[in-house]
Order: sequence, then C-alpha cells, then structure tokens
Amino acid sequence: MSTGPAVSVGRVSTAPGRGAENQRWLDALNGSGPQRDAAVAELHGLLLRAARFEVARRRPALGHLRGEEPGDIALQAADDALVSVLARLADFRGESRFTTWAYKFALLEAAVALRRRAWQGREIPLEPERWPLFAGGELAAGAGPEQRELLRAVVAAVDRALTPHQRRVLLAVVLDDVPIDVLAERLGTTRGALYKTIHDARVRLRATLAEGGFDV
Amino acid sequence: MSDALVARLLGPVGPEIGCEECFAELDRYVELELADGDAEAAVPGMRAHLHGCPACAEEHASLRDLAASPPA
Repeated sequence: MSTGPAVSVGRVSTAPGRGAENQRWLDALNGSGPQRDAAVAELHGLLLRAARFEVARRRPALGHLRGEEPGDIALQAADDALVSVLARLADFRGESRFTTWAYKFALLEAAVALRRRAWQGREIPLEPERWPLFAGGELAAGAGPEQRELLRAVVAAVDRALTPHQRRVLLAVVLDDVPIDVLAERLGTTRGALYKTIHDARVRLRATLAEGGFDV
Repeated sequence: MSDALVARLLGPVGPEIGCEECFAELDRYVELELADGDAEAAVPGMRAHLHGCPACAEEHASLRDLAASPPA
C-alpha cells in the first residue's frame, strides 16, 4: 500500500565479508546432504535465539503464561519461521546480513503468537469500550478551548465520515489497543488489509478536519 | 492524554508504506539505522509506517535490538 509516488530505491552496498557469508548460507541451504542438514540446524538455532529474545522481551507483560509455555511458544515460533525462511530463500536479495533477514521471521512468528495468546478467550467489543469516554469529553480534562474544539471535530468526523468497518477497525486498534494481528484473525482478513483500512480511515479523517478549517 | 489519542487516531502525516512492504524492507532498514545510514531515504515511508502501526513498530524495535546484540 504505497501511498506516495514511486521512488527509486538504490541497493545497499555490500559490506566487506557480508556477501561471502550470505553466499555461504545460500549455498548450504540450497544444497543437499549433510552440509544442508547442518546449515538447517544452524539456522534453526538462530531462529530459536530470536524467538527466545522476543519472548524474553515481552516476559514482564506475559503474566498469563505458565510453566513451559514461554519456551514452547519460542520453539514453535522458531519451527514456523524455519519453514518460512526455507520457502522464501529466493526472496533474499542480499541487502542485509542473512541472519538479520532470517531473524525477522522468528520475531514475527513469536510476536504474533504472543499477541494471540494474550487475547485468547477475550472478546473484542463490537463497540469500542473507550470511545464513549473519548466522545463524551471525559478524556479532555484540562484541555484548552482550541483543543476541545479539535476533539469535538475529531469525534464528529469519526462518527460521521467513516464507514462502520473503518470506524470499528480504527477504534479497536487505536483506542482499545487490540493487536492488529488478533483483529485480523477474528475478522478473517490479513494484517495488511486491516492496516489499509486504518490508513484510509485516517486519510478521510484528516480530509474532513481540513474541510472544517483545522490544520492537521 | 487526549492529545496522544488524537495523534494516534489521525496517524502519521505524509506517504507511508504498508505492513507487507515494511516486513520486506525491515532487515535492510534496521541495518542502515545501526550503521548510521540514511534509512528513511533508502525506504521512503517506513518511518511514517512505524509511527502509525504499533505491531510493525514493536517488530522493528525487536529486530534492531537483536541485530545490535552479539550472539551468546
């Protein structure tokens, strides 16, 4: 969903030594026999490191996880990421270290799993829970006259300018902090599609506010 | 509080990429950041997307910190 003009993006120059290391990974993983098996095992170890890193990073907010669950989530994320990486080797363009490229798959798998686990069994409200507070001005305590005027205009634009789907998605993600992956799963769509909905809603909000004379 | 919520509702100003392109470019973007390169010039619209998408922002922060940390 590129919203700006097409821009030519130059390739990053390859740092000394990086190209050879990247090629070593590709040759080994595209090969066969014991050399490939060893490379796959090494890659799995890297992915497990990344997944554990993500789990540990979120550990303070993961009070709902018990016993072996964090380790199990990390291992499953590494397993899933390994499948993704091996399936997408042809997509690797060598514009970063192979390890950095591979890490992002494990981080994504772990992050998505943890967000879903955190929302497991929780209902996503059809009507955003905090919107009545916001729309009623209760969150504007202490705001000056100009800020209150902007708030009223934002509330009116959200209620009148957005489609019901745009309103629900935007308020769920922004106001109620529902993770976009979780919402996508519940609505049977993709994260990218939902973000486009949010983006389009924001464009419409800004346009409506600009029509009303606000400099946003 | 209301200022922050309005900012989150309205999102970033200017062109931004989507989640798929963000994921595709994330490793290159992070390495440019860590090398003090001009990451935004290499991936226009990435910074705006990271401001507008909490999930991608979390994954960006994780990859940046992981890539910057030496292997155990």
